[in-house]
Amino acid sequence: MARRNALLALLLGTLACAAAYASAFLPGPPKAWAGWALGIGTAVVMVAASALGAARGDKGIGRLKVPFAVTFLILAGGFAAVLVMPAPTGAADPLFLGLPAPAAIVLIGIGLLPLLVLPFAYALTFDDMTLSEDDLERVRAQARALQAGTASPAVEAPRAEPVEVEV
Amino acid sequence: MTAIALLQTTELPRLAQPTIVAVAIVYFAIVGAIGVWATRRTRTASDFFVAGEGIGLAALTLAAMSATLSGFAFIGGPALVYTAGLGAMFLILPASVTSSMTSWALAKRMRLLGEVRGLVTVPDAIGARYRSPAAQGLSAVAILVAVVGYMATNLLALGLVIDAIFGTGLALGVWIGMAIVLAYSVAGGILAGVYTDMFQGTLMAVASVLVFLYTLKVGGGMGGISRTILENDPGFLSAFGAMGPVAALSLFFVFGVGSMGQPHVIHKFYMLREPRKLKWYPLLVTVALLVTMLLYFGVGVAMKSLVAGGEVAPLSRPDDATPFFLLRYTPVLLAAIVFSGVAAAIMSTVNSFMNIGAAALTHDLPVALGRRVGNELLWGRISTVAISVAAAFLALLPGALVAFLGIFGWGLFASTLVPALAIGLNWEGATREGAIASISVGLVVTLFFETLAYFKVYSFPAGVTVSGASLVLSILVFFGVSWLTRQRAAGALDPDVALVMSV
Repeated sequence: MARRNALLALLLGTLACAAAYASAFLPGPPKAWAGWALGIGTAVVMVAASALGAARGDKGIGRLKVPFAVTFLILAGGFAAVLVMPAPTGAADPLFLGLPAPAAIVLIGIGLLPLLVLPFAYALTFDDMTLSEDDLERVRAQARALQAGTASPAVEAPRAEPVEVEV
Repeated sequence: MTAIALLQTTELPRLAQPTIVAVAIVYFAIVGAIGVWATRRTRTASDFFVAGEGIGLAALTLAAMSATLSGFAFIGGPALVYTAGLGAMFLILPASVTSSMTSWALAKRMRLLGEVRGLVTVPDAIGARYRSPAAQGLSAVAILVAVVGYMATNLLALGLVIDAIFGTGLALGVWIGMAIVLAYSVAGGILAGVYTDMFQGTLMAVASVLVFLYTLKVGGGMGGISRTILENDPGFLSAFGAMGPVAALSLFFVFGVGSMGQPHVIHKFYMLREPRKLKWYPLLVTVALLVTMLLYFGVGVAMKSLVAGGEVAPLSRPDDATPFFLLRYTPVLLAAIVFSGVAAAIMSTVNSFMNIGAAALTHDLPVALGRRVGNELLWGRISTVAISVAAAFLALLPGALVAFLGIFGWGLFASTLVPALAIGLNWEGATREGAIASISVGLVVTLFFETLAYFKVYSFPAGVTVSGASLVLSILVFFGVSWLTRQRAAGALDPDVALVMSV
């Protein structure tokens, strides 16, 4: 289910990006919604790709839902904020950490905040949700079995009966 | 816009000062020594192409970071910030997400697939996933096309740096640069590349941090820089700078999502000795990338501030931003280290391209044709020389051909590899037909429209990049064709591949 949802999100995000690009071919001035579609679509695609990779069979993505949701909010929220925010007007504008508000959102929000979420989520869930010792041993056992049956698996991997996986 | 990713085709200011020359010589000597050491440890094709699956986490981190960043991060990037303002940052902003995303989508599965199947190349993974020599061969063709173009552009950039430091002239600079990288790449393969990358990556990171501190000092802190710019050109610090929203966000899309299809980076997952060390990889490589890109931002805004404040005359060429700042505002030793860092960044990228190009030629294409080269180590070395010489000749061709070749590299990798690999390794319903169709669409659309744009026959409307459009199209085609062929081909996976995909 998690994989299916991630795939659906990935497809929808890509369609949003496609719509943004397609709008440039329409007559008239650039469409204001194109930036929104591209920004939100990109955020969806990147988070969906992460979730797709994190999902394991039927186990879903478990507690990774939270960091993925937070990352989506950071990216999509950041893009939305800078799309509606007025441009700086001059030296009297207030600064945040030495930057005018739009620049602060872009650099600190979109550019830095995900660093505090995703890599730590990856590391903290790695042992139980990405690759445990048991997982590794299972895969290595398969590799040993495979190597026992062929000399050059990279070129002519043994062709056991294919596993039909439900689509 | 993808053109900006790698292009450094204009001459640099003359840098031939004794300290800069001395540091460059020391730098090249260290690289040479690492190459000699690695050569002694390179005995098999596996050593040559995937470092014998024997590198540690630190080496993987620095090698991935070094391969990701070319000289553009030090010269062209700051120039782009100086010219386009904050919009230029959308090219590197995705770095806070990409390593984690790529780790989830690809790192574990590629590393395990490499172990199960003894894979040595990225197209190998595509071939194994889809049981398709055709998909493997097609992706190898895409890689080869992009690699030669990328290498030509990078060799030209390396020639410019060597010429600026040693006054060799451009042509000789290109050949000297090529010979240096070739020497350690041919002899030591990717093993030499990885360990020179460790040295080069450290150099790049240290240099970037030091230069960033100098930019803050010269500009009166971040607040001082911002105030000076806001007084004179407030639009520069607006969210998208001089770019439109779609153009800037398109950079984020292409360089964010496209990062999952960069073979010179993801290929390195095969090399990690212990797969469970991947645990801290995203954090380390993200921090390394962000630290190393401080210079990209710092020099760009500092130079803009200096020009806006009237302290410096406007630059006649934006590419002069970094050399100008270094030579005028930092100690000459630091400037020397940065210039060596530029060479380091270019060389580490070229080395990675040499390796994956040689692998495509000697491994993937023969496999796609149902053959196998007898001595892959020997032919890998011969192919490395052949590709490098071809790229050097291309780099020195008159006219703007090299710029054209460098334009489509990132986009071509992204549109041909992201769907088939990053999605395909995580979706059992993806089909061989979907993979072949998406790789073909990525290849054809990118080459066709980049060629039309190069000859000024047709260009996409403002904001739409060929890279972005081809990536979107190839993903949609991948989904569409996989869905259409789901009854006939979906789900036929080898048991070991199915196991790796389920873990």
